[in-house]
Amino acid sequence: MTMRGRILTSPPVTVLLVALAWLAVVPLFNIEPRYLPPLGDVYAEAVKLWPDLLAGFWRTFLETFIGFIAGALIGIGFGTAFAYVRLLERAFFPIFVALQSVPVIAFGAIVVIWFGNTILAKVVIALYLAFFPVAVNTLRGLSGVNPGRAALLSSFGASNWQSFLMLALPSAAPVIMTGLKLGISLSLAGAIVGEWFGDTVGLGVLLLQALYFEQVTRVWVLIIACGLLGALLYGALSLIERRYVWWQFD
Amino acid sequence: MSSEGIQNGGMAARSKASVIPPHLQLVNVWKRFGSEPNRTVAVSNVDLSIAPGEFVTLIGPSGCGKSTLFNMIAGLLPPDSDGSILLSGQPQPDGALLGKIAFMPQKDLLFPWRTVLDNATLALEVEGMSRRKARAKAESLFPEFGLMGFERHYPHELSGGMRQRVALMRTFLFERDLILLDEPFGALDALTRAMMQRWLLDIWERHKRTVLFITHDIDEAIFLGDKVMVMTARPGTIKQTETIALPRPRDASVITSPDFMEIKRRLLASVEEESMKTFALSRDAADRKTMS
Repeated sequence: MTMRGRILTSPPVTVLLVALAWLAVVPLFNIEPRYLPPLGDVYAEAVKLWPDLLAGFWRTFLETFIGFIAGALIGIGFGTAFAYVRLLERAFFPIFVALQSVPVIAFGAIVVIWFGNTILAKVVIALYLAFFPVAVNTLRGLSGVNPGRAALLSSFGASNWQSFLMLALPSAAPVIMTGLKLGISLSLAGAIVGEWFGDTVGLGVLLLQALYFEQVTRVWVLIIACGLLGALLYGALSLIERRYVWWQFD
Repeated sequence: MSSEGIQNGGMAARSKASVIPPHLQLVNVWKRFGSEPNRTVAVSNVDLSIAPGEFVTLIGPSGCGKSTLFNMIAGLLPPDSDGSILLSGQPQPDGALLGKIAFMPQKDLLFPWRTVLDNATLALEVEGMSRRKARAKAESLFPEFGLMGFERHYPHELSGGMRQRVALMRTFLFERDLILLDEPFGALDALTRAMMQRWLLDIWERHKRTVLFITHDIDEAIFLGDKVMVMTARPGTIKQTETIALPRPRDASVITSPDFMEIKRRLLASVEEESMKTFALSRDAADRKTMS
């Protein structure tokens, strides 16, 4: 890619271009605020909402983050167990697949009944959504270990545990990262939906309130805030990936 | 037979302490896959023995079961129960060979997430040596393996020849007296390959390990080996063993000497006969397929 091409596609520049387009398009086509409010109004609304926005952002971040970490750990655990114990995979994997086909909304209701309007309920929903892609990708990564490398390690007299740590885990890491990146976006969606079942703080709560009072400008503030949170979480994972898991799965 | 046997037995008993058993010995080794009627015999009735410090090359047509044989010697595949593998005179039950033989497979199989240095120390780490000690030990070998300055590079930054040298260093650092090399230079261009062969001989003469080396290349087999063994087409067995009396150290000029040519002519006839059989076998199979 040329230097100019790279600058044009870098994330901050993309954001800037979208903002400029927004500024230009609204007066140009005389768009009603009901459909797309002017960017200046959205900014003013964000300033007005600032303390609530900040508290909501932090709260939703926390729910997503805790849920994601827990889901990722459990997902990696189950994925590993499935990869090494065929019987477990046969017994439990179909159950997980079936569970995944239950829409999170239906599942969320029972979680709120179990855990009440606590942060825990949102964490559990975020966990539930992150778990599956991580487990599946861990299983896929660990089952795809190059048999030649595995034989080489055995010929050195490596134990199963050594083979797992020195070969299987690093070789599966790029695939597990793919699962984690899927999982973190789902976790955020889970946390926001979880807040709709009832709470007082959070981006999801603000979103629902704005919807009830038809505060279109506020909805846009929240869309941007949710997008920012999602981008931050995904970006952090991508940075970790580029720094520590840069090799290809083969 | 009987009186002679007793006499020899007595001799053997007396000289037992002074006789060094072969480093590696295969007695009637077979490997059959599947059950009748779809049984494939990959390796049949292989007997061979390699003396300590000897460099033996094994040559045969592709698909003759060389790799299966190697996997059995490396302990990765048990031989069928009617044969046995002995290491320094000791029979090795299934799985006992793992960790006893330095095995280098055809592909370099370097770990892409490890630096060159950490790839070289892989076996040492498996053996439980601390990372610092293992690295120090490997670092001293880098000049000899022509990899100075590449310690912190990753495998994808190296050429094919260098990757192969890293894999060889990894094998050498796993300090076992017997080294199995499965076509280590098969994927290299002719010039690099010739250079690597001379380099390998140099290393071998200094470290004095026992080497069993698989190759497709007759020149390579004669140039490197004290002994060349020819394998037959599948089911693979040892057809012929040729002792190579060419003087050592050998350099590139050996390849054009009359003695070398004479050996090559003899071996070529034998190897080509087997290659033709493989060809005929695959043609038969193709014919059967088209007929049915």
